[in-house]
Formats: sequence, C-alpha cells, structure tokens
Amino acid sequence: MTQYILRRLLLNVVVIWLVASLVFVAVRALPGDFVLTQVATNLELADNQAAIAEARRLLGLDKPLWQQYAVFIAGLATGDLGTSYATRRSTWAELGDRLPYTLELGTMIVLIGFSISLPVGIISAVKQDTWIDYLLRGFAILAVATPVFFIAVILTLIVLKYDLWTIDIIGRPHFWTDPKKALTLYIIPAISGGVTGTAGVMRLLRSQMLEVLRQDYIRTAHAKGLRRRSVVLRHALKNAMIPVLTVMGLTVSAIVSGQIILENMFNIPGIGQFLFSRLLMRDFPPFQGTVVLIATVIVTVNLIVDILYAWLDPRIRYA
Amino acid sequence: MAQEQVAPAVPEALAAPIAERRGAVRLVAGLGRFVRRRKLGGVGLALVVLILGVAVAAPAIQRYGDTQAFEVPNPEFNPTANPLDIARNPRLSTPVILERHQAPSARHWFGTDQFGRDIYARIIVGARLAVIIGIGASLVAVCVGTLVGVVSGYFGGWFDLVVQRCVDALQAFPGLVLLLLIVQVVPEPPLVLTVVALGVLGWATVTRIIRSAVLAIKNSPFVEAARAYGATDARIMAAHVLPNIVAPIIVVFSIGIGAYILAEASLSFLGLGPADKTTWGKMVNAGRVALDLHPWEALFSGMAITITVLGFNLAGDAIRDELDPRLRGR
Repeated sequence: MTQYILRRLLLNVVVIWLVASLVFVAVRALPGDFVLTQVATNLELADNQAAIAEARRLLGLDKPLWQQYAVFIAGLATGDLGTSYATRRSTWAELGDRLPYTLELGTMIVLIGFSISLPVGIISAVKQDTWIDYLLRGFAILAVATPVFFIAVILTLIVLKYDLWTIDIIGRPHFWTDPKKALTLYIIPAISGGVTGTAGVMRLLRSQMLEVLRQDYIRTAHAKGLRRRSVVLRHALKNAMIPVLTVMGLTVSAIVSGQIILENMFNIPGIGQFLFSRLLMRDFPPFQGTVVLIATVIVTVNLIVDILYAWLDPRIRYA
Repeated sequence: MAQEQVAPAVPEALAAPIAERRGAVRLVAGLGRFVRRRKLGGVGLALVVLILGVAVAAPAIQRYGDTQAFEVPNPEFNPTANPLDIARNPRLSTPVILERHQAPSARHWFGTDQFGRDIYARIIVGARLAVIIGIGASLVAVCVGTLVGVVSGYFGGWFDLVVQRCVDALQAFPGLVLLLLIVQVVPEPPLVLTVVALGVLGWATVTRIIRSAVLAIKNSPFVEAARAYGATDARIMAAHVLPNIVAPIIVVFSIGIGAYILAEASLSFLGLGPADKTTWGKMVNAGRVALDLHPWEALFSGMAITITVLGFNLAGDAIRDELDPRLRGR
C-alpha cells in the first residue's frame, strides 16, 4: 500500500507538471499580453513603443519563452506561484485575500448539495417505483440538465418578485462580520451550485442503493429484525457510498466551474472571479499559479478517494 | 437515429420475424418497442426530434429575423420642433420608438428584449446553434477520442502511458477554465472554434471509455486469429477492433451532447460564446439586466436550454441502457 501511494504521488507530480506546461503554453498562445491590455484604454501610451518595451522588460516578458518557462517551473518546485503583474504581489497573497469568500461559498455549496443529494438518492431507492421516487428522480434529471446560472436566475427572480430580502452584492459581507447579510448573498449561489454540482451524485447513489438493497446481507439484516432505518442507513448506505466516492474528483471540478460563474454573477470576490478577471487581463502568473493549485487539489482528492476506496472495500487491493 | 441502435438488443426469437418485414415497418416496430421499454427514453427521443425539427425548420418558423429591431412611429415626433422644446422633451426629436421589453403577445409570442428584438425568433435561431454545437462537439470528441483510445489501448506500452497521463492532466483541469483558455485564442471566437474547444474538453473522457473497451477485446480469439492470419496492426484495428466497439462509441456520442450544450451555454453566459451568433446562454445573460421587471428573455431562453439538454440526456441514457448498461455512472 505504501508503495502504491508513493507511486501515485510521483504520478501526480507528473500530472501537475503536465497541467503547468499546458497552461503555460495556452496562456501564451492567447493574443495580447498584460502590457497591451493596460495600454488598450490609453491611446497616448499605445503609441509609446519605448515605454511598452520597458514595461515588458520589467515584467520579464521580453525574455525567451524557455527562460520564462524555466522560471515558472522552478518557482512551482519551491511552492512559489509567481507574482501578479497587476498588483506586484505574490499569487499566494492575492489568493489569501480571496480564499475566505471562495471557502464560504464552497462550504455552503457542499453542505447544501450533499444535504439535498444524499436524501434524494436514498429515499428514491428505498421507495423505488412509487410517486416519491418518480418525483425525486424527475428532480435529479432536471438538475443535471439545468445550467447553474439559470437556477440562480430563477431564485433571484423569486426573491426580487416577492421582495423576500435584499441581495447585497456590493458590501462583500462575511459570515463572521455580518452573518445575516452574508446568508442572503450566498444562499442563492449556494443552492444553485449545490444542486447542479451534486446532481450526478443523486442518480449514482440511487442506482447503487438499489443494487446493494438486493444483496443477501441486507435480507439477513431485515430477518434479524433490525429496524428498517438502521438497515438502510448503517448497512446499505455504507456500501452504496463507495462507488459514489469515485466521482468526488469530478464533483470538485464541477463545483469549481460553477463557482467561476456564480462568483461573477453575484460579484463575490473569490478565486473563481479572480481566475476569470486575471485571464481577461492577461495577468499570467496568478492565473497559471491558481490553475496549478486547483489541479493539485483535484488530483489530491482523487488520490485520497482511491486510498479510502481500498480501506472501505477490503476486496480492493492495489498492486 | 435510435432505430439502428435498438436492433442488436432485440432477442433472436423476436428479431427473426421482424427481419422479414420491410424497412419502414421494421423501423416503426423497433421504435415502438424502444419507446414502450424505455418510457423516459421515449420522452427524450420525442424532445430530440422536436428540437432537431425546430433547428432544421428554423428559417420557416422563426416569423421574424433574430436581429430585427421592432419600432413604432413616435406620435410625439415633430421634425420642425424648436431646439428649446427638444431640450425640454427629447422625445420630440426621435422619429421612432423601439418596442423594448414587450410582454408576450400574439405579435411577439415570447415578448421582445431590451433592443426590441423578437424573443421567439431568437429562441428558434438559438435551437439551430445549440444543435450544431452539441452534435458537432460530440462528433469531434468521439472522433479524436476513439482514434487515440483505440491506438493507445491496442498498442499499450509507452504511448499508452503518455496518453493516459495527458488524459489525467486534462481531467485535473476544471472544465470551464480549459474552455476559457481555448476560445480566447482569437479575439472574436467563431462558431467552429467553440465546437473544437468543447471537443478538446471531451476527448479525454471518450478516450478512457474506448480504451477500456479495446483492452477488453484485444486478446480475444478472433483478434489473435486475424494476427495469425498475417493481418497488419492497422487492419486489425480498423476491421476487427473498431466494429466490436461500435456500441460504446454510439453511447459516448449520444450521452455527451447534452453536456456540450450546457458547457457552451456557460461560455456564452460569460460573454465568450461564438461571436455574432444568437445563443441561449447570451440571452439568459442579457435577460438578467432587468430581471424583476422583464423576466421573459431569461426565462424562455433558460427553459430552452434545460428542455434541450433534458431531451438529449434522456435519449442518451436510454440508448446507453439499451446498448451497454455497464457504462452507467461513467
């Protein structure tokens, strides 16, 4: 097992290096650079070639690509995600400012998502082929098909139409500074992101539960006279959750994509909005660094899931 | 589309008498059986047929141009108005008024948007775009993914290793970030770039599935027989491996379409969709401007996305269950 984990860690390093190289090449294939986006709005500066060349020299954009690449990779190796062209601050510091917002929204998305998707999956399996099952399955199928921003638009419309509360998209409240305002801001994106992000989990969990509920040991548990509730939650759910775990990496990826949209919609200054605005600005280092960081989170989640997998299901052994 | 795919799943006993019937009758019978067995799949198929019909017939049923701005003469317009009066009432100087933000009516079935354009016409035109993008992107992903997956699974070795790590790397990217990177390569992304970007996003998943299908059959007796016979690798892949993985290929193709339409809607919503085209994602975004007063544009275009994706997803799921239930949950 230790050997397996070590090998996977090594592979993950290779994968992260590939992601870093890919994003490095991709951002430089885009038209324009940071200096050009800055002078684009300033007609007088746009003609000042000397100043533009000087700015590029200061940012290191005049160096040959292989040198820029070497600096980037060497930085990553020491945990340095680069320095923003725009603010001249390190990417870590920039991310530090934004992390609280993203974590607040992300935590709420995960909490709401799973507190909807787990019951939906379990109940529709237990009540298979009843009207409750049809209703919940219909809900799950719709959740997969609806864009995250459309759910957010509908919820916003309801809140506005019935004047339920004011959505503060300017004050940037935190849960620890102004919990009430923060809740009214985050609740809509959190429900939208949660429902769409875990829609796949609902359907997968239902089909896994159905399979597990037909197993002999479940019949035995019923025969022993255990309460239905504890058979379902203790005996069945545990085993049904194992395959659901494998899609966690995909779920994280879906939630990140959702956050990019939701943070832009609700003007939440988190990492999703940061990523999007820095890309448009061609501020390469923080963009590259953030993408590498997210990729690291995703491959690490996948690794943890695979390790948990072997631990939860002893039949699985990794060579 | 589904009738040929249903055929292999028909039990032998049933298939024999059906085979004697003529093409059209057989097609209807097969379709009828598919709909009876897969009720949700039938609903999905009906939606897909409806959307394909709308996409094909768009010019005939859209009633108005999708960029045509509706205006009415301004009753207050006075060409000889005194500049001082115009300063007091600027409406005196404009000969026409845009019919902005109209509610649904007999004239504008879904109302008009902020530029006085007919929302119904724009939804219909958007259907054509969604279909082109969904099917086009899935085709790109399946072609690239199958080619890479077959070669990688068949040969194995270092090529397989390199390909699999690249697939890992692509799957470690949050999908939307990758899309954002690709579509910005040119300032105004044309439609074909959007399709290619979505295909690039999807080929990794396709490759995984195709590769495992190839691994499952590459040591079968019939492949070994072909090799003993002296067939080249290229011939074995094309004539023996490929025909035996048609089922998963059809499944990944049909199951991906809905997801690509959704991803394109997200791109368009963020303002990076295909330039100069009317897409539903752009319409939802535009409709947010005055959402509480004029929700029609956002609501109708959002529902159009959901219904379309729902149709393709349901049909895709049913085709998967029919052809290759093992792919469930992938």
